[in-house]
Amino acid sequence: MLDAALTALSGFLDPWMLVTLLIGVLAGLVLGLIPGLGGTGAVAVLLPFIFLLEPQQALALVIGATAVIHTADTISTVLLGVPGSASSSVLLLDGHTMARKGQASRALSIAFVSSAVGGLVGAFGLTVSIAVAQPLVMAFASPELFMLTVLGISLAALMSRGNVTKGLLAASLGLLLGQVGMAPASAEYRYTFGSLFLAEGLDLVAVALGVFGLAEIMSLVARRTSVAQRVELRGGWGQGIRDVFRHWTHVLRGSFVGIWAGIIPGVGATAGSWLAYGQAAATVKDKKRFGKGDPRGVAAPEGASTSISAGDLIPTLLFGIPGSAAAALLLGALLVFGIEPGPSLITEDLDLVYTIVWSFAIAAIMGAALCFLLAGPLAKLSFVRFPILAAGLIVVMFVASFQASQEFGVLQVMLLLGVVGWLMKYCDYPRAPFLIGFVLSIPLERYFFLTDSLYGTGEWMTRPAVLVMAALLLSPLVFKAVRRVRSGSGGTSEPSEPRETVTVGGGTGHGSSGTADGSGSTDGPGSAGGTGEAGGPEGTPGSREGGDADTDDAQGADEPEGGPPQTGPDLRGSWWPLGTALLFAVVFAAALLTGQTFTESGKLVPQLVGTVGLALSLAVCVQEWRRLKASAGPAPGLRRELGWTLYAFGWLCLFLALIYVAGTVLATAVFVPVFLRVVAQLRTRGIVVYTVALIAVLLTLQLAADIALPQGWIMPAFLL
Amino acid sequence: MVGLSRRRALGALSVSLLAASGCSTPNPHRAEQTASEGDPLPEHVRMVIPYAEGGGTDVWARFIAPFLTAEMDRDCQILPENLPGGESIIGSNRYARDGVNDGTSILISSGTTYFQYLLGRSEVEFDFSDMRPLVLNPTGGVIYGAPEQGVDDLDDLFSGATDLQYGGISATGLDLSALLAFNVLGMDVSTVFGLEGRGPARLAVERGELNLDYQTTSAYLGQVQPLVEEGRAVPLMSFGQIDQEGGMGRDPALPDLPSVGEVHREIHGEDPSGVAWDAYLTFLGAGFSYQKGIWVTGSTPDSVTEPFFEAARKLSGDEDFLAEGEQVLGGYPVYSGAESEDEVRAALSITEEVRSYVLDLLEREHDTVVH
Repeated sequence: MLDAALTALSGFLDPWMLVTLLIGVLAGLVLGLIPGLGGTGAVAVLLPFIFLLEPQQALALVIGATAVIHTADTISTVLLGVPGSASSSVLLLDGHTMARKGQASRALSIAFVSSAVGGLVGAFGLTVSIAVAQPLVMAFASPELFMLTVLGISLAALMSRGNVTKGLLAASLGLLLGQVGMAPASAEYRYTFGSLFLAEGLDLVAVALGVFGLAEIMSLVARRTSVAQRVELRGGWGQGIRDVFRHWTHVLRGSFVGIWAGIIPGVGATAGSWLAYGQAAATVKDKKRFGKGDPRGVAAPEGASTSISAGDLIPTLLFGIPGSAAAALLLGALLVFGIEPGPSLITEDLDLVYTIVWSFAIAAIMGAALCFLLAGPLAKLSFVRFPILAAGLIVVMFVASFQASQEFGVLQVMLLLGVVGWLMKYCDYPRAPFLIGFVLSIPLERYFFLTDSLYGTGEWMTRPAVLVMAALLLSPLVFKAVRRVRSGSGGTSEPSEPRETVTVGGGTGHGSSGTADGSGSTDGPGSAGGTGEAGGPEGTPGSREGGDADTDDAQGADEPEGGPPQTGPDLRGSWWPLGTALLFAVVFAAALLTGQTFTESGKLVPQLVGTVGLALSLAVCVQEWRRLKASAGPAPGLRRELGWTLYAFGWLCLFLALIYVAGTVLATAVFVPVFLRVVAQLRTRGIVVYTVALIAVLLTLQLAADIALPQGWIMPAFLL
Repeated sequence: MVGLSRRRALGALSVSLLAASGCSTPNPHRAEQTASEGDPLPEHVRMVIPYAEGGGTDVWARFIAPFLTAEMDRDCQILPENLPGGESIIGSNRYARDGVNDGTSILISSGTTYFQYLLGRSEVEFDFSDMRPLVLNPTGGVIYGAPEQGVDDLDDLFSGATDLQYGGISATGLDLSALLAFNVLGMDVSTVFGLEGRGPARLAVERGELNLDYQTTSAYLGQVQPLVEEGRAVPLMSFGQIDQEGGMGRDPALPDLPSVGEVHREIHGEDPSGVAWDAYLTFLGAGFSYQKGIWVTGSTPDSVTEPFFEAARKLSGDEDFLAEGEQVLGGYPVYSGAESEDEVRAALSITEEVRSYVLDLLEREHDTVVH
């Protein structure tokens, strides 16, 4: 075994090995950096080369990209609030909040170091767990996977602190959206309305970029401010490294969760990152800081992000089951070289396996080091006026989400989801549960039906791993009940509604005032006060952990924990929140009605989700109605704020219309200069350079990376 | 000030749009090009792959393309383009809509593509009876059982003592071939769908959740053979192979395994026949015997197709190519479409009787309605 490991390592003495590895790393970094492209983009770029290279070099190329994609996609998530990939959207909670506080370079360096550690742990875990992977994968049968999806969705409650009803409503909405497309248990299409591109289901990239990215653009564009609303006081990347050392247990724990999530087929990177975040948030004592720029909220998921890719290699190599686009590419490469994945790979091609392990470890360090060098300059992006960035982001985001289905319709759906994301953001719905629900919707249904038809009820419910997960699910409730019995009074009967008192005023003070239980140490999910997530109107003065405030966690302890005040319309006191809740109620009712036509097994989940969602949205309607009646009318200046948003939305519509008419390249050539002039008020020279560079990037991607650009009706032939 | 720049913006916008339309073609979706006999194969050929990058069909297409062009006596470059989605209908429809017949564009197809066409899905706009196969590569499949779960040999499939449990991805996908085999053999199998792929199905067998499964030949040899050696799996039969004359025989890559037809003879004492058997053969051909293929529009002239035929003929005898491509080709030959054009088209056509039989079976036994 050691022999094979050393033989494989000596392969790296060949400079070509290192060069191909570096090229893979660079490709992964560049494509990871572009929001939404990530894995699929890397596959498209690297695929042609696999057929030209020697096996070892081709593997180094693929692994180089695989290992760093999730390091690079952090950057736009943290800096811009636009998720670089669906799995990195978890960093919107703490990472992006840190950037808004002006701590972008600190957040980034935590992310990069954690990611490198995760990569090393992942490479090591890859070596060790090859021996135990077989029993581990065997132990996770359908019932365990079903419980795991349930556990994942219950994270929704954890992520929704402020208002559990709204958190669960958001999760239901995500679950419903995930139902679009082919049903897993019956070969029928649901909610596709005869449209073929919806048959595969909505693309995760389009959903994540719409709900988070476009919503962010709509709220920030017209404002002409930068992402960071405060100049960094102290601490930078050095502070980040110290954070990693202080919270090394979180980095390691995140990495282990990541490997495990990668090994089990069917969990996936997005759910894995959220699980890593969830376990960190659930086990710390001062969990109220999570979501408000806590370094641990960056370290844990980022430790997981790279190790998931490593763990994912195990089912790919041992069982031929790839868990991601990049792993599928690796599988394809192996087939081209005549290597059949399977247990025989370990016995016959052990040096190949070690080439993969070493490549992964070296690439993870290379990637993190390169990112680290870039962190300083990149962090400055968060101080750039947002409209300047938005021009390019709008183009890139629409192009990225176009890739999966290559139908114009997906752009319209994405715009619609942008509106939904905006409504959720300002009506105080946490969007994290929405994304978790969307990701886990089909797995939940799939594993339910498999469990139900392969096992007897008593049989699957008594499996040990199922029992453990059930205990995990129930323990917060039990804790709560015990505490309530002990304290006699304490919690209100409706812990999900901590915000009975509504304060009107610009972006401050509502949130934790309603939570009576101040200790926080054994809070169950959902009971901790505070704000929903990074995006929500924040600025809660309360809930400070006086006792164990970390002295060198300067920003976190010294300032109000909500971070800088969130700009944007203050919808409280207006009809908007009630209208939004009513809209959701209508959506669920419509889904219930449409779902009547599905087959017996096809309609179970839609009906369940529809009923629960309808009930929840009606409950929220009542909440909002009460709140509306108790309020003193809308905040002043609301109309002006809404105008700004509508203005930003108009620009997005304009861009789509231009694409529809003239195709992407021409639309960009028209839209970007006009936008930069009118909205960003950039000088002419800047506009020219910016536009030319952006179009050059688009055309390069189209030529070199096989990235498809939406075509229009009027389009010069040479651009086709 | 805002008003001024807006006005200017509008001006710039309309000027650019006018400029754009000035240098544009009226229809971006390539006008139908008609080639006539004698036109040469173009230098650049777009290869439409209606499956995702890195998947089995994509790897197959990208693997074989450079070998084909290397065998041609002219300069030709094949440029792959993936248009995945909608069970491969989206990309195949787009190919059909383009309607080019001058060889500038070729279509890759696989079993899933054929099945959507055979089942008569309303979204399908392509028609294989009006297309020409250039290159074909069959594959095969093995049905195997789990002895630990009571499937030791063929008799266990029919004795009724063991509950047979099969897991699939979707009743309208390649699983349909297995379902039709069970149907024609008269086996009583309970099925569950929703697995993510054939890999997870095999894992479910290993876990003891299922006791009946099929794998394609290459996956069988790589992944199931080790289990067979450990005594944890037992091969039962192969799907069989439709030969180039349209008859049914043993799978040449699995010469030791009886085909579905032989098993029928052994158990029921007579050759299989009737609409159930026709249905099985139809979907066997589409799903396995002609599984991977390169196709062009029906009106494509011989002068364009001949270089492909010629290259495929050379490749089918090229030992080095076959050895290098063992995994990708699944141990099956590559042959040109020229020799068996009519047989392939016949195999990919379906009678109304067979289609309604299959649709009825799907609805009755698998709660699946095809629109």
